[in-house]
Amino acid sequence: MSQMLTVSGVRLEIEEHGQGRPLLFLHPGEGLQPSRGWIERLARSFRVIAPHHPGFGGSELPDWIGTVDDLAYLYLDLANDLNLRGAILAGNCFGGWIATEMAVRNTARFAGLVLADPLGIKVGGVLDRDIVDMHGITRAEFMSLAWADPAKGGIDYASLPDTDLAAIARGREALALFGWKPYMHNPRLHRWLHRIDLPTRLLWGEQDGIVSLSYAKGWKDGIVGSTLETIPRAGHYPHWEQPDAFAEHVEAFAATL
Amino acid sequence: MRTWYFSEMAYHPAWKKGLDRGSLRVNFPNENLDPVEAGKLLNRYLDEFMACDEAGIDIMVNEHHSTATCMTVSVPMALAVIARQTTRSRLLTLGNPIANRPDPVRVAEEMAWLDCLSDGRLEMGLVKGAPYEIAPANSNPARLMRRYWEAHDLILKAMSTTSGPFSWEGEYFHYRNVNIWPRPIQQPTPPVWMTGMSVETGTMAAERGHVVGTLLSGGLAKPMYDAYRKRARELGWEAGPDRFAYAAIIGVGNTREEGLRRADQIADYVRTAPVVHEPFTNPPGYNSIGANVAILKAGQRANRIVTDRNGEQINHRTATVQQFMDTETVFAGTPDDVFNQLKAFNARMGGVGHLLFFGQGGDLSHRDSMDNIRLFGREVAPRLMELGVPEAAAAE
Repeated sequence: MSQMLTVSGVRLEIEEHGQGRPLLFLHPGEGLQPSRGWIERLARSFRVIAPHHPGFGGSELPDWIGTVDDLAYLYLDLANDLNLRGAILAGNCFGGWIATEMAVRNTARFAGLVLADPLGIKVGGVLDRDIVDMHGITRAEFMSLAWADPAKGGIDYASLPDTDLAAIARGREALALFGWKPYMHNPRLHRWLHRIDLPTRLLWGEQDGIVSLSYAKGWKDGIVGSTLETIPRAGHYPHWEQPDAFAEHVEAFAATL
Repeated sequence: MRTWYFSEMAYHPAWKKGLDRGSLRVNFPNENLDPVEAGKLLNRYLDEFMACDEAGIDIMVNEHHSTATCMTVSVPMALAVIARQTTRSRLLTLGNPIANRPDPVRVAEEMAWLDCLSDGRLEMGLVKGAPYEIAPANSNPARLMRRYWEAHDLILKAMSTTSGPFSWEGEYFHYRNVNIWPRPIQQPTPPVWMTGMSVETGTMAAERGHVVGTLLSGGLAKPMYDAYRKRARELGWEAGPDRFAYAAIIGVGNTREEGLRRADQIADYVRTAPVVHEPFTNPPGYNSIGANVAILKAGQRANRIVTDRNGEQINHRTATVQQFMDTETVFAGTPDDVFNQLKAFNARMGGVGHLLFFGQGGDLSHRDSMDNIRLFGREVAPRLMELGVPEAAAAE
């Protein structure tokens, strides 16, 4: 069940399931999509706290919020408000970028960091596209790059009520607001990765066509002591495509903390 | 009704290849353009603009980027040439895509410079720009109109401030010393125009008293004009026809057949211009949430569909001249035909003060283009100047 919580003056819709070590999960650019069942799987081992980012789901997007910096501070405030201790900070895709921006600022509330196919840093040269231009390809092309099995990811938009469609449209607009230019990254973030003083696990879908394993290596080199594990039969969203394998990786990581 | 001639200075020799690839914009490689041929065409099109000065017609230019449909990449650059080679025509930019331009003060400087150069003949359109302009400019489509309005306010302040410098610390733009030289002849600013297709745009334009124009949009124009008139009345003033503009394809000929043929050739622009790789047609944030809900339900439409006067759905990609005439996209025939069609249109719209005469759009030859301009200027434009508020609307 989701609940509404006001953090730093921003009304957020937050999903919360399960008991145990807190796991603050920051969702990808495609939204939280709780109906895919992945939260319940993680909730077998963790107290999962998963906010809809401002502009997504039922969360408001006030005029004054417009950058990933804002989101990082907002969620650091959320961790304080919830009095989290020893939590795992996790993020996928765009959510991985937000989690990283938080982790270079303040890790006091967290014991470990999980980044699954994150966006957010620049690794290659000016002519290299580290991150596929998801807005320059058709939806069908996007699905074939983002999913190992695109059929698994498909959404029948015609069957959804207008309120859900409006939420999807709002979310897409919000993602553009935060990540349009520079495209889905902060050019300076790579230089601050050394500040991350948490055990860090990088998880990567082996069929991720949005950000490749060579990009993953850039992350691994940037975060001292981080480890990289891959998940078979998964694309850019391993928690959706292989929820069991994803949860097992997070559980194994948590056991080392 | 005043007449403003415009053409997009298209590179039509590449259209067929673009249509075969399914995109004439953004991702259509420029290896499909011969730069020497492009130069010849640009000179030809500029000659056609010059003919308007002699024909007693005003002139409009716009700009697009990364496309075979329009080689005008900069309204001030095109108007700089035209201003030097004309003496009478008023000169309209419709417009400056200011939400995509990184430096609004530069826009103010360019417009002021043109106003001086042309002895105060400039009319200044400040536009949002088409959705497929987002990619070439790489401007953020989210909060696009917030950026538009900040740029708009800054440009008007820069043009009308004579005791500067002033500073500007906004959400998107930051300057410490705004003090443009030269400043415009027309004070506080040259007339300002906007474009749109919605009731909201009509209302917002009315609040500022700007001219509002719409391009090739048929039935969408009337609700926008009506919203403008209503808002103006609420604010205590009456919006006359000179606040409204409408762009249409015009083909006139010495015979009806010749006029229709010319319009048919120009209409190839409308059949071609919307063909663009699908991801660039609807960047997130450009269209409203409501419009995006409809698109998610029905899928992105490949072609523009408009409704004609009888309620029939017309596909712009394949429409005939007659269908374009039924959607008020084309006015064509003899000078009498065209005048009568425009007179009836003016009555239906409640009075439109500016006709944006789309007079070149593809394979229409230079000779036909010149004849079209001269015949319209001689036989139609003077009669249109007599059209004002139609009697029915005036009696309301």
